[in-house]
Amino acid sequence: MNKTIPTEIERFDLSARIQHVIMFTTFLLLSFTGWGLKYAYQDPASAWIEFWGGAKSAGIIHRVAGITMLLDFIYHQFYLINRARKGNFRLSLVPMPKDVVDAFHNFMYFFGLRKEKPYFGKFNYMQKFDYWAVYWGMFIIGASGFFLAFPVTVSYIFPAWTIQWIWDVMFAMHSDEALLAIVFILIFHFYNEHLRPEVFPMNWMWLTGKMSIDQLKHHHPAEYDRLYGDKNKK
Amino acid sequence: MRNWLNASVLLLFTAVLAPAAGAATDAATCLGCHGSMEGSVNVNQEKYSKSVHGSFDCVMCHLSLKGDQHQGMSGKADAATQQLAASISAKSKIDPVAQAACAQCHEDLYKAYKASVHGQNVIAKKSSDGPVCTSCHGSPHYIQPKTSKDSAVNHFNVVQSCGKCHEEKIMSEKYGFSEKVMERYKESFHGRKLKVGHPGAPSCVSCHSSHNVVSAKNAASPVAGENKKKTCAQCHEGATDKFVAAITHKPMHPIAHFTELALIVLTMSVFLFICVHVLLDIFADIRDRLFRKGGNHE
Repeated sequence: MNKTIPTEIERFDLSARIQHVIMFTTFLLLSFTGWGLKYAYQDPASAWIEFWGGAKSAGIIHRVAGITMLLDFIYHQFYLINRARKGNFRLSLVPMPKDVVDAFHNFMYFFGLRKEKPYFGKFNYMQKFDYWAVYWGMFIIGASGFFLAFPVTVSYIFPAWTIQWIWDVMFAMHSDEALLAIVFILIFHFYNEHLRPEVFPMNWMWLTGKMSIDQLKHHHPAEYDRLYGDKNKK
Repeated sequence: MRNWLNASVLLLFTAVLAPAAGAATDAATCLGCHGSMEGSVNVNQEKYSKSVHGSFDCVMCHLSLKGDQHQGMSGKADAATQQLAASISAKSKIDPVAQAACAQCHEDLYKAYKASVHGQNVIAKKSSDGPVCTSCHGSPHYIQPKTSKDSAVNHFNVVQSCGKCHEEKIMSEKYGFSEKVMERYKESFHGRKLKVGHPGAPSCVSCHSSHNVVSAKNAASPVAGENKKKTCAQCHEGATDKFVAAITHKPMHPIAHFTELALIVLTMSVFLFICVHVLLDIFADIRDRLFRKGGNHE
């Protein structure tokens, strides 16, 4: 059985890795330039905007990055469809009841109430959270951003009864959910993929796309068993 | 002590200069005393000379000087200036004639101002509310061109100048404009962009105009009725009715307010959850390394 087990396994193909690079590059640009406007009345904002070439230039960077990110997101949907067509597609990222159980077990493990880490599959609940957070961001921040970037065009779509509050709602959605996204990435994603002693300074998978079999067995035992486990055992 | 000293210096100067006073009415002569005096009668010579009016003689505006020390120095205010000075005396207490003298040169702007809601309030209603020239432009001694960033009416400073009155609750109640007008402008995209130095971002005067400003309820206002679309279209080509509703400076609609509140609650909840998760993860990791050697991944 051991002979068939490779030393590492590809988790992300080249296309997925490129999508990720585009995603985080545009995310950083959007965060940096947007931050200056969100906190315009805090002292460093003006100097910070100056760093990005002034308000006009920061605005252009923000719009170009935003559209690039939306295109990246749309491309990702085609990428998924294409994989499904080739039959190389599993619903390994779809949240399942097991994820709730896993999360509960993980907390019990944190508190020392369980000896073992949960029996995680290909993607654990934290990684699913990470993945779907992007969808939330795309629909809330992306859509409101599109509305704010093309206000005159979009005003034709609004029903008249919404005009007393829709603009403020769009603004709040864009601004507050951007903060949520930044805080989420800065704390959750950075801890899990950069700061954890095991992966510090970073999880190189973003470049190689590959995970060692040991890592897979330890962190994603259900996936390991699915691929290489003794089929007769269960 | 200081006052006595000033007074005696003043007397001394007066004694020395008085005989020649009839001829000497140039700025240097005036600044001989006023450059070193304290309080509202002080004029900073250096700043004055750098202002747009720095080449003027003081008496070009100070047409009616009081007091013996000024004997023979004063010019003569014409009837129109005197009349204007009388009608703005409730507002301009120190030297209404000098204040009125702006109109001698800036006649067109004065006419526009006189017809405006500000001018009507000050001149016709003789109210002490509403600005005269110096209320917005600052001291005429130090006035800078609008393009200078030291000008109180510079594109990036004018909001603050308008705010001196329009941020006041008493004013909004008395004259019926939105109590939150400044706050709502400042938190809008326009206000934020202006704050971080976007040259195209509109200030108050970009939409409401300046010297000839009228109440937004007045049909002639650039932000009233159909005019608003034209005004917005200066930057936002093809502005529609639904589009121009975006900026009203009115308090936030309850739906928007509670949506924002819900979003903040969501953000804080996620924030709390991930912080707790990360911290527990760290503690469990440390615990495993200390007490569960070999039990964990090597």
